[in-house]
Order: sequence, then C-alpha cells, then structure tokens
Amino acid sequence: MYSYVLKRLLSAVLVLFGASLLVYVLVINSGDPLLELRESNAENADFLIQQRIEFMNLDEPWYSRYWIWLSGVLGCAVGSCDLGTNINGQDVGAMVATSASSTLRLVFLATLLSIIIGILTGIVTAIRQYSSLDYAVSFIVFLFFSLPVFWAAVLAKDWMGITYNNWLREPQFSWTQILIVAGIAAILVPLIVGGSARRRLLTGAAMFCFVLVAMPVLEALNYAREPQLGPAVITAIGIALAFGLTALLSGLKNRRVLYCALIVVGLGLVSYYATFWLLIEPPGGWLSIVGLFLVAIAVAVIVGRTFGGHAKGQAVAVSVLTAVLYSVLVLLDHFMRAWPGFLGLKPRPIATIGSSSPNFSGDFWQVSLDQGTQLLLPTTILMLVSVATYTRYTRSSMLEAVNQDYIRTARAKGVNERTVIFKHAFRNSMIPVTTIVAFDFAGLIGGSVVVEQVFGWTGMGDMFVTGLGNADPAPVMAFTLITGAAAVLFNLIADLMYAVLDPRIRV
Amino acid sequence: MSEPVLSYQDIRVTFATEFGEVDAVKGVSFDVMPGEVVAVVGESGSGKSVTSSTAMGLLPENATVQGEVLLQGRSVLNMSTAERRKLRGAEISMVFQEPMTALNPVLRVSDQLIEALQVHDIAFGRAALEKSIELLERVGIPEARTRIRQYPHQFSGGQRQRIVIAMAIACGPKVIIADEPTTALDVTVQAEILDLLRELKDELNTGILLITHNMGVVADMADRVVVMLNGEVVETGPVAKILGHPEHPYTRRLLAAMPLLREAGDASLGSPRVSVSEPSRSAGEPTHDSVAPALQAKDVALEYSFRRRSTRVVHDLNFTVQPGEIMGLVGESGSGKSTVAKAVLGLLDVAEGELLVRGENMPELPAKQKKALKREIGVVFQDPAASLDPRFPIGDIITEPMVVHKVGDKNSRNARARELLEAVRLPESVLNRYPHELSGGQRQRISIARALTLDPTLLIADEPTSALDVSVQAAVLELFSELQQQYGFACLFVSHDLAVVDSLAHKVLVMQNGRTVEQGSTDEVLRHARQPYTQRLLAAAPVPDPATQARRRAERQRLLSVPQ
Amino acid sequence: MSHQTPSSSNSDARSVAEAEDEKLASEHRSYSQGQLVRRRFLAHKPALISMIVLIFVVLLSITSIGFSGQGTGWWSKSFSDTGITVDGGRPTMFNEGLLGEHPFGQDSIGRDYFAMVMRGTQQSLLVALGVAFASTFLGVLVGALAGYFRGWIEAVLMRITDVVIVVPLLALAAVFGAYAQNLPGGTLTLALALGLATWTGTARLVRAEILSLREKEYVSAAVAMGAHPARIILKHMLPNSIGVIVVNATFAIAAAILLETTLSYLGFGVQPPETSLGALIQNNQNAFTTRPWLFWFPGLFIIAIALSVNFIGDGLRDAIDPRQKRTGASRPGWRTAFGLLGKTTAEERANRPVTELSGGPSQQQMPAGMTDRGPDLGHGPTEEKRDS
Repeated sequence: MYSYVLKRLLSAVLVLFGASLLVYVLVINSGDPLLELRESNAENADFLIQQRIEFMNLDEPWYSRYWIWLSGVLGCAVGSCDLGTNINGQDVGAMVATSASSTLRLVFLATLLSIIIGILTGIVTAIRQYSSLDYAVSFIVFLFFSLPVFWAAVLAKDWMGITYNNWLREPQFSWTQILIVAGIAAILVPLIVGGSARRRLLTGAAMFCFVLVAMPVLEALNYAREPQLGPAVITAIGIALAFGLTALLSGLKNRRVLYCALIVVGLGLVSYYATFWLLIEPPGGWLSIVGLFLVAIAVAVIVGRTFGGHAKGQAVAVSVLTAVLYSVLVLLDHFMRAWPGFLGLKPRPIATIGSSSPNFSGDFWQVSLDQGTQLLLPTTILMLVSVATYTRYTRSSMLEAVNQDYIRTARAKGVNERTVIFKHAFRNSMIPVTTIVAFDFAGLIGGSVVVEQVFGWTGMGDMFVTGLGNADPAPVMAFTLITGAAAVLFNLIADLMYAVLDPRIRV
Repeated sequence: MSEPVLSYQDIRVTFATEFGEVDAVKGVSFDVMPGEVVAVVGESGSGKSVTSSTAMGLLPENATVQGEVLLQGRSVLNMSTAERRKLRGAEISMVFQEPMTALNPVLRVSDQLIEALQVHDIAFGRAALEKSIELLERVGIPEARTRIRQYPHQFSGGQRQRIVIAMAIACGPKVIIADEPTTALDVTVQAEILDLLRELKDELNTGILLITHNMGVVADMADRVVVMLNGEVVETGPVAKILGHPEHPYTRRLLAAMPLLREAGDASLGSPRVSVSEPSRSAGEPTHDSVAPALQAKDVALEYSFRRRSTRVVHDLNFTVQPGEIMGLVGESGSGKSTVAKAVLGLLDVAEGELLVRGENMPELPAKQKKALKREIGVVFQDPAASLDPRFPIGDIITEPMVVHKVGDKNSRNARARELLEAVRLPESVLNRYPHELSGGQRQRISIARALTLDPTLLIADEPTSALDVSVQAAVLELFSELQQQYGFACLFVSHDLAVVDSLAHKVLVMQNGRTVEQGSTDEVLRHARQPYTQRLLAAAPVPDPATQARRRAERQRLLSVPQ
Repeated sequence: MSHQTPSSSNSDARSVAEAEDEKLASEHRSYSQGQLVRRRFLAHKPALISMIVLIFVVLLSITSIGFSGQGTGWWSKSFSDTGITVDGGRPTMFNEGLLGEHPFGQDSIGRDYFAMVMRGTQQSLLVALGVAFASTFLGVLVGALAGYFRGWIEAVLMRITDVVIVVPLLALAAVFGAYAQNLPGGTLTLALALGLATWTGTARLVRAEILSLREKEYVSAAVAMGAHPARIILKHMLPNSIGVIVVNATFAIAAAILLETTLSYLGFGVQPPETSLGALIQNNQNAFTTRPWLFWFPGLFIIAIALSVNFIGDGLRDAIDPRQKRTGASRPGWRTAFGLLGKTTAEERANRPVTELSGGPSQQQMPAGMTDRGPDLGHGPTEEKRDS
C-alpha cells in the first residue's frame, strides 16, 4: 500500500513538473509585461522598466527564468520556499499565504456540501425514477450545467443578497408569500415521499396546512431576527431523527437500534447542558468544537457497540448519524443565540463583496457568522455545477447498481426494498462516484477563479487572473502549483476511498 | 402423492417492449411435489425461466402475469408485496445461473448469509453466525469458520455457487428454483454441485424446480420433465419416458441434437458418426515426411503480462496437427486452451519454444512473411454476438480477408462471397444485411464463411458452438464437418465439451492448468483414458439417459474415492 | 392459446435453426441501427424541442446581421456603430410594433443591442463549434493511439494527458486564451487554442472505448487475418465508437459555449472590437440594477444555447448508448409520472393485438429483462436496463 502511494506521488511530481513547464512557457509568451511602461509618459519610466526587468529576470532567456523559478520551488523541500516575485516586486509566497486560506475554505466547503446534497438528491431521483420529481431534478441539473456561473452570481447577489437584507429590516410574510411557499411544499414533499395517489394527496394537504400555520407563528416570534431552538425543540427533533433514521436504515422493528439512537439523544441532551457554558466562548475556537464533535461520534460508536446486540453494525451507523445531526443542532442553537447580537454589528448580513467584513470584531460566534454570511453566496454559486454533477452521477450509478445480479439475489432472499437500496445498492454505487470527486475538485478550483472575480475576493483566483493579464508568470505558477498539488492530493484520496469501498482491489 | 408444494396454473406472461407487446409465456401449467425434482427444459426463448420466476414475483415491471401460482395452496400472485417478500427465501428460494455476479462484491460472505437468516427471524447475532458457518460446512466449503469472513471474490466459481445454495437453503424452504445452476460451471464442478443439490433435496425433502437446457443434467437429477417451446409446454412426463420414449417430435429432435460421448463398444464407432474423410487434395494418409505439418508446437510456453509481471499460463506444450486433420483441444476453464489458440493466431507472443505453421516458426518471421502466412489461417470465435463487426454488411465481412491481403477485384470478391454463402447454406440476399439481423447460429455460419474466404490450410475454432442452443449447435457442427471434407483444412478445435470433440476430431489433447495431461487419437483418449484427470473429466459429463447416468454417477463416485 | 392446433404443433417441431433460416429468407427487413437511433431520438421530447430552439437561434443570428455583422442580413443595423441613445436605451420590443427601432435596447454608447447580441451569439457559436471540433479530433487521435498500441506509446500519451488534466481546466484555458491573443486569426485561433486545453476528457473516453473494443472478437479476427493497425482502428474501432464520440462532442459544444463566455468574461476570450455573449455580460454587469436588459439578453441566449445542446446530447445518448436504453414501450406520460395513472391492467393488455418482435435490433432480442438463458430478474422498480 505504501509503495503504491509513494509511486503515485512520484509520478504526480513528474506530471506537475510537466504542467508547470507548459504553463510557464505559455504565460511568458502571452504578452509583453513591459508594454504598459514603454507607452507610459512617466519621468521615471526607464527606471521602472529596469526595475521590472530585475523583478522578473527579463534579461535572462526563458529556460533560465524557468530554472530560477523551479529552483525556488524546489527549495520548499528543504524548508525555504521561494515562489518568486510578481510584476511589482511583491513576494508571491506572502501573497499566497494571505489568499490561499480564503480560497481553500470556499472550495472545501463547496466540495463537502455538493457531495452531500448531490448524492442525496441522486439517490432520491434514482429511487423515484421517471417520477415528475425525477424529471424536475433532471431539468434543474441540465439548467445548472448550462448556467454561466458569473451570470448566475449577479442574479444571486441581487435576489438572495440585497432582497433578503432589505426584507430583514422588517421581516414579515405577506399572505401571498405564505400561500406560495405552502403550495410548493404541498407539491414537493409528496413527490419525495412517494406512495399511492391517496397517500400523496394526504401528505400534500398536511404539508399545506403545516406551512400555513408555521409561517405566521415564526413571524410572530420574530424568528428571522431572533431565532432560537432551545433544549426542548432540539430534543424533540433529536427523537424524531432517532425514529426516522432507524426506520430508514434498519426498520423500526429493530428495537435495539432504536434504543441506541434514543440513548444517544438522551446523552446529547445531557451534554447540551454540560457544554453550554463552555461553548459560550469556546477556548481554541473551532478546535474545541471539532474536538467535542469527535467525542460525540466516539460516544455514539460506543453506545452502538455496547447496546446494539446482534445488529451492531446498523446500531453504530444509526447512532453515529443521530449524534452527528444532534451535534449540528446544538451548534445551530448556539449560532442562533448569537444572531441578534450579530445583526446589531452587521445590519445587512448577507454580503455580496469580499471574503470577510473589513474591521469586523466580535466574539467567536459573531466572527464565525460573519465568515459564514460572506461565504454563503459564493459557495452556493460555486456548488451549482458540482451538485448537478454528483446528482447525475449518483443517479445513474444507483440505477446501474440496482440492475445487478446481486440485487436480485438480495430480493430473492426476501430482503425489503429499504435494505436493498441502502445496504446492497448504495455502497456499490458509491464506488464509481469516488472517481469523480477528484475531477470535480479540480473543476471547483477553476470555478473559484470566476466566483472570486464576481464577488470581489482577493483570493488565489484573483491572483491568477491579475497575473495572467500582466503576463506575469510567478503568481500564475503559484496558482498552478497549489491547485495542481491539491488535485493530485484529491486523486490520491479518491483512490484510497475506492480501495476502502471495493474489497476486490485491496491487496 | 400429497398436495403439490408449488403449482403453476395456466400462466401467461406478456412483456411490454419498445416494439409492442410480446407474449413470452402462453398458458403453462405444471406442479412440483415435495421432495421431487421437476426439470423444465427448452431452448432460449422458450419461456422456461420466465414461467418459473413468476413464483418469486421478481419479474421486471414491464411484465404482466396472468394465471395462478399456488405455493402450498396459497395464491402467490394475489398477495401484497410485503406478504410475498416474507415467502421469498423462507418458503421458496432461488439459485441463479451466474455465481460470479450473484453475490454482493462489497459485503462479506458472513454478512450476506446472516442477512438471509435475520430477515426471516431464523437466528440473530452470534447464533446466526454459528448457523451460517454450519450452512457453509454443509455445502462443502472447507475451513468455513475462517473463510466466512472473506469477500465473494476470494472464492472460486463453484464455491460461490455453493454459497448461493447455502443462502437458498438457509431458512429451510419448501421449494428451490434452480435456474441453470450449473451452466456457467465446468463439468467436474457441475457434477459436484448436482450431487450437492441431490443430497440436500433428500435431506430436507425440498421440491426442486430445475431449469436447464442440458438433457444430461435432466437425466442426472430429474424425476419429472416439462419440455417447453415458444412459451408453451409441448410434452410432460416422468424422466424415463421423456428421455427414453419421447412422443412429441420437438422433444425427439432436441434429444437427437444432443452431441453424445460414445462409450467403448458403441455400435457407431466403426464409422465416425459425423464422418470425416481425408482431405481431397492429399490422397490417402497425410504423408508426414513430404508435407510439413499444418501446425506444430515445440516446447511452447505462453505468458500473460500484467503490469510488468508475467504469469506463465501454458507450459511445455508439444503437438502436431497434420494437414487435413482435426485436433480437439479440451480442458476446463483456466486450462490455457484458448490461450494456445490466441498464440497461434498471433494475438499473444510466444514466450518460449517454437510454433510452426507449415514448417515455419511464425512468431519469429519478419512482418511481411508473417502476414503472408496469416493467409493460411482462418478463425472462428465463440461469441456470435461479438465475432462480426456490427457496422459491416455481411458481404464486406466475408470478403474482408481478401481486402486485407489485396486478393481479387470487386467482382471476384463478390463472387467468392456468394460461393461461400452457398457453402454455409445462407441465401444470397444476406450479403447486404447487417449482423444484428441474423440469429446466433447464422452468425456463426458467417464466421465460418469468413474463415474460409482465402482457402486456409489451418482453421482455429475457439469454442465455436458453446454459445448456441443444442439444435443450432448440431446444425453448425454438421455444416462444419461437411466443409472440412470439402475444403480439407486442418483444424485446431478448442472446446470444453468432450462430446462435441468426439463427434469431430481425429485426435485429442487434454489440458489442465496449462499443462498437457494426455494426447492421442480420439478413441484412445476418450474411450481408453489412462490419466486419472481425463477419466474424471469423462465421468463428470452427464448423458441424457437416466439409467446410464445413474451408472456413470456411481462409477464417478468410485473414481473419486480412489486416492490420487 | 394453450390448445394447439395440429399444424402449429407441427411447425413447433422444426428445429430452431430451420425456423431461423426460414425467417431470414422471408423478405422481412428489420430496423437498421440508424433508423433505430433516429426513432429513439425523435421520441425524446426535450431533445426534439431543443433541436428546434437551437436551429432557430442559429438561423436568427446568421440571417439577421449576416456573417459580417455589419447589417448585411434583414436587420440593417451594425453591431459596432454607435449612435444616440433613445429613451435610456430601453428595449422597444413589443412596445413599438413587434420589434421596433431597438428590440433589445441600446448600450451606453448607443449601439444597437440586438445586433450586438446576434454578433455575440455568432462568435460564441463559432468558438464552441471550433473548440468541440478541435478537442474531439485531438482526443480521438490520442485516445485511439493510446488504446490500440498500449506499451510505451500509451504511457507517454497518457502522461501528457495527465499533465494537461492536472491544471484546472478553466485556468489552463485562460492561459491558452491569453496566449492566443498574440496570434493572428482572431476567433478561430482562439477556438483551436481552447481545443488544446479541452481534449483530455475525449481522449480518456475514447481510450477506454478502444480498450474495450480490443477485446471484441471481430477485432481479434481482423488482427488474426493480418489487417494493418490503421485499418483496424479506422474501419472497425472508430466506427463502432462513433456513438460515444458524437455524444461526447455534443456535450463538448455545450461546455465550450460556457467556457468561451467565461473566458470572455475574465478578459481572456474574444477580444474587442469583436464581441461575444460573455464579453457583453462582462461589460454590462454593473448595469444590472439600472438597465437590466443589457444583462438579461446575452445571458438568456447563453442558457438557451447551452441548455438545448445539452438536451440534444442527452437525447442522442439515450438513442445511441444501449446501456441507457429504455426497454419499456415509452417513457411514462405526465399522469403516470405524477402517480395519477396506474399501469395498464392485464385485461386491457390481453385484449390488444399481439405484435411480433422480429423488428428489434436483433432477431434474438429478448423481451425486456430476459437474457438468452433466462430472465434477468430483479429489475423491480426500474426500467433502465443493462445491455445484455
């Protein structure tokens, strides 16, 4: 296994070397970096030209310029990186240090969310193949594939950003809005739930009434400005989750699994109070939150293994999922507590420009909320294509898996459809999906170039575009190197995931 | 007898397809009694599998089923989905044709067996694991306790079929539907699996509905036989009657088409049943000294290389095929027999030794001479669906060798194509049609025609009939031997079916795991085999006569009990 | 039906081989592959509608302003002539007759926006077709060579492919686009340069296809008879992968439309004075709140083109790729889709006349879900089938 990883990394280094050479040659031939200065009438034009020649080593032939760049990069191996200087003499290494974090945050978040959303949608549409939900999702998928990202971003800025911020000043629903939302819910939910025509009509009617009551109640509570969950609501949702996940993954008949999930919810309630004061101002920020999250998963595993009995595997799966979702609820509760204060600091929360609000200061939750609201629109826009890809892939992969012989064997054993889908088809269908994770990640990095342009972020994409516009190789090469390395890394992860999912290729 | 455990009453199945509706089954009725084996036989498209599957309720959604299926007196078709699901696996279970794909590749065998038990509340947790290990031991998987933790790909095909059977018997069903359970397996493995099914049936008093196209398997297993054709039952009765005294002409034809492995002392042995006379061009015995052998292998070793690691699959192979002679190359899967054919065709490099075609070591020849020598070799492959380019009209397919070797002009090529079509008894109008318009047997005949286009001295036939139905196979074999007489080519005939080889070949070479086990004249090898492996192979092939088959079975058990 | 007449039982007794030959001798022609593809494509409603939309857009953009873009078609205004902005440049469509003076309005320096959008459409389509053509050609070449020859040729070609793949597509395309700015030839050069950045997907696909075709017995037969590799690739392999290639090329067109507009938006695509749909959006994105039509029209044209090309690709794939083949009579109608209509009942079906199956793509083709040796069970909730 190690030798395999090593071999892969070695060939990746060679490939990166080739790619860097290709990009370097193209960039330095794409324009004249001195053109603007030659045409300038500034008195010190000659001096500036001389300076720029020095910054960019323009007096050297191209191969020796490349060699200077390459030896600087190779220095990374011994701990002294030198990514060169840009057209104005700024150190590119320092530029990367400030810009990489925001870009990577954006791309990672978009990857994670689009995998989750895409795979879930894909499964649902595969199960409901040829339903109107399937058709609608297919159309939306094709629409996402055909949408120019920058165009959609302008729309999102206006509709999601500005309109929402305006509405938030006086958050009220008109009856038309309520009726429209209720109507959408009444159509959409029955399509996802499925069942006989009678059952669909009932679900639809129930959803309609629910929305009709819920929205005015939320409005009366001023929920948009002062949202809250509180332990009671969290626990209620938690119990519902315990029942729902058990029903979905192993069947309510399986009491032990249900008890495990309920135990997890109980422990979750205890830990809600236990950690409440700690989380008001968490020491170490995200570190302690991730730590608590891991503890929650560990506890869930222990609960599943101890009380799961003969259905240990399912009990662990359901417990862990319950714990994860419960933790998310607790996190959400804390964010909601910080929301009114945050609105005081930043009255128009959804940002359309920049990766963080300038001069913003607040406690941990408020800073996180600020980053979150800055990320919201770019992430959504960046995700469109990826979600579409994952949906499409998961759907066809699921349909492929469902047609295999072993699914027939499982059905012949008397296994119910739920187990057929989640135990037998799902895992097999994920095997081909892992291979597109790497491809998609590279696509997202490319997409981030556009998204950063539209939303005015000064991230790596911006560095790349500016550099390329000036025929300035150093920033472009830094971008190529980092994104290339990330792509290689994701390829490797995808390969390892493949091996985890498919026992046939493990050695 | 008591009440039937499974009863089909006037079953009709219709499929909705792109081109309208198709009646696959047109009113079929029969019963299965407890502890009885009912064999449903028929060729492809007879509807035998579709009929049987109605009991499981697993037909695709575009199928409409009418009639009545009674499982222990309860109507299956009118049940709710949930009720049916409870029956599946518990009361009625199934063994499938393809063991390689029937098990979920990403789940351990233990998970899949335990699931079968837990679904029907037979056992849970540790008890289910113990019961699963017991089941594996019962179906003859060695070291069941450790191997149960493995994944399906770590088992051989025969072992996987045993695991599928273990799953099928896990909940003690009243009836098992076995859909071509041994078709994908080698003969020796087939015999073992049939033995296992027989034992289990006696032990559990389970009814077995055996779907098969192989009359030998029927003779070996069945108590009663149902013969189906085009979605209808043509004849039904006890096995001795159907196989011994068939009434319906179709049954008779089906039996007559079965290639037979003749035993020593068989009346037809004096003259070969399908007579193979000497080639027309060389009168009398092939003269070994003056004419170089059509094909000769000297100490040949063959290797497959995968990721720069090579695996030797054929060792020290020596044989000679004289002009006008047919040599049968037989062996089970993995024996390397097809690899040899590949090497002769130049699709695989020879790692060691010499492969002489008409006295010249072909792999060593310079490209130009090699190509010239290739004119002398024709080939017929196994899969009728893949051996003809779907984008070529039949005429172009037949004349392609002439185009490649720049022989003749348009008119002479066309004339040759007509001539060959005549020889394989297909109408001239076929010239402008495409392969997808032809049936499997017809496509194999086109393959033969293409192989003969340049009048080769050597023909390589790689399992040319194993994908065909018996009656089609019989017709193709008959044609093949007639053409051999007419054109007098030598032939390397690769096959897993000893009976087919018996009907054609002058001599036989038996391979196992890449090594030669035995070679000699057909009579020597197939009727007076000296090597135990050949004897076992011969004993495992079932014959379509219940009495003879029972005798052979006993004989085989005796052979196996003798320590090697 | 279970009661057989003597004659039918006689004919039943024929061997299968004889029955097949008889069928062949009868002059019953079945559908050719091309007919089947056409038939399935035309049954694919979204693809058909998209085809009409696309043809409309193409004809509109060409006939309106002509190839030169200087008002040589039925629309007399040029895309580059400035003028006086009337009424804040508001669109006149449907206000003053059907089109009016400036149907899509005018930009800030008074150019006719309809002519500009038409010109942009022309340029974007030109680039998209050029990119798709170049990348398909290159991809097929590399993929076919790598797949057929294996060994060091494959190793080298696939490493080159990896080198191109490792740089994010958009970034690489931008670099190529920037490079192409210095070359003569304008839009076509740009298209070829972008083709150099986008061929890798096709190459991988074609290589995989060729690798699987290598295992086909008809290819082995051609190799065994001594056919030249060029003949095998050109006559046997490529014609048999043409479906995959065409479908992929169609999707490549849609991707190229978006790539070109994105690059033009970033400033590395079509250069002024020429214009493209992406460049129009880039120039006018800040006018969204004040003069939204400058933003909407080019955007809608991009979506219309990309969406219809994508749907055409989907329809082609459904029609060509047997793995996606629907074996049912047709897609369910909208009522069935909403669950308001059940399947036709058994009785209804039984009363309908029975049609013969001999017209399938293969006379041996089994009804859905059946393979040669029996039924393919377990297709419960789905209708999509493997090609068996």
